Amino acid sequence: MPAKVNCKYVLRYFDRIGVAEGSKLLLTAADVEWKEEHPVWPQEKHKQPFGRMPVLVESHSDGSPDFVICESGSIERFLARTYGFIPNDIHQAAIQEQLRDQASDMFAAFISQLVAKSEEDHKENFAKFEGLLTKLVEVQTKQLRENGTNGYLFGNRLTYADIITYAFYKIILVGMVKRQANIVDVVRPRLTAEIVKLISTIESDSLLASYMSRSDSLAAVVRPPAKF
Amino acid sequence: MSNPTYILRYFPLVGLSEACRLLLTAANVEWTEEHPEWPQEKPNQPHGRLPVLVEKNPDGSPDFIITESCNIERYLARVYGFVPADPKQAARQEQICELMADVFSYLSGYIRASSDESKQMFLGKFEALLETLIEVQTKLIEGNGNNGRQFGDSLSYADMVAYGFYKKLMIAMARFDANVPKFVKSKLTPKITQLIATVEADPLLEKHTSKAESLAAAVSV
Repeated sequence: MPAKVNCKYVLRYFDRIGVAEGSKLLLTAADVEWKEEHPVWPQEKHKQPFGRMPVLVESHSDGSPDFVICESGSIERFLARTYGFIPNDIHQAAIQEQLRDQASDMFAAFISQLVAKSEEDHKENFAKFEGLLTKLVEVQTKQLRENGTNGYLFGNRLTYADIITYAFYKIILVGMVKRQANIVDVVRPRLTAEIVKLISTIESDSLLASYMSRSDSLAAVVRPPAKF
Repeated sequence: MSNPTYILRYFPLVGLSEACRLLLTAANVEWTEEHPEWPQEKPNQPHGRLPVLVEKNPDGSPDFIITESCNIERYLARVYGFVPADPKQAARQEQICELMADVFSYLSGYIRASSDESKQMFLGKFEALLETLIEVQTKLIEGNGNNGRQFGDSLSYADMVAYGFYKKLMIAMARFDANVPKFVKSKLTPKITQLIATVEADPLLEKHTSKAESLAAAVSV
């Protein structure tokens, strides 16, 4: 699908690797004009439609009103559909979208264990996070194998499913490391060779070069440590 | 060509799947519910969780199986025309549904937390975001011509998800904490109450609403 002309984007979020990461990757891959804004928080909370971020603003050179969308999953699906990273076929789209919902649930459980206020809550939520991660890895690996272990989840080029898979591992293994130093030791051993291959394939995709050149490498984090 | 038939696998509760039940009903397709033995049937589900939707096609092709409640709702809404195909219009509805899912996940966090401190944290987030949601939905309904709908002039995906959401809060969550429905009811605006009544009265949903507990009654003064 050709890129839409005469529109540009602003993605409002915090200046960090978080739930807006998938949207940043999609905007990059779509090859549209876009920039990030980091509203002062919480002073600019009331200026956002839902008092939250991320927020995507699409503006048009013909002066038509801005199109504003909130909620990370909805922003991603809008971009993926508009710029051709998700199939038009509703069945195929649902198969890709459920991978995002599964990864997002895993991430929500990760956050729950991170912010848990008591030891008991932390243990419970950590166990839930581990269970969801195990299943997520199993489902992703099965799909990667069924697709011929070519580094992509579907077909032989970058799709929405690849992007969000990369994004959620990036958030946890690069974005969250400062807040939970041991998370790499928890997650990395569980990643299968197929997932590591997906990560390095996505990271070297030419469509994402401008994002990757200014972002820390996830592939470097998940590469199995060298044995001497 | 006849429509596919569906099986919705879930627990027999007004849980995460009420909106799915409404969408299947509104789509006017043949569907049944299955309540798999749990956790014995866990490994047989695509993501080891429920709900799961099985679509059986009359042409004999393999069953099409999807999972994740919001994904199932979006799929049914798109296939049966309850959300526009245009990505912008779809996004406008989807963002409201995603906001509702976020509110519910704070509520789940509150219900599931063991420590008082965690409970208080989640409760605070739930209450604040619910107020935001109600404000957003109220404005939508007012901007949509005060017809008791968030979008357009016929039953929509977002309206069915909203009904399912408020039903979860007012009826399903009551068994965990009676204060939840009390709080929610105190925050509802007349526009939200009107939305609930409009959805419940829709002829497309009669088969379901005629045998389910009335949410409109639960929220009325």
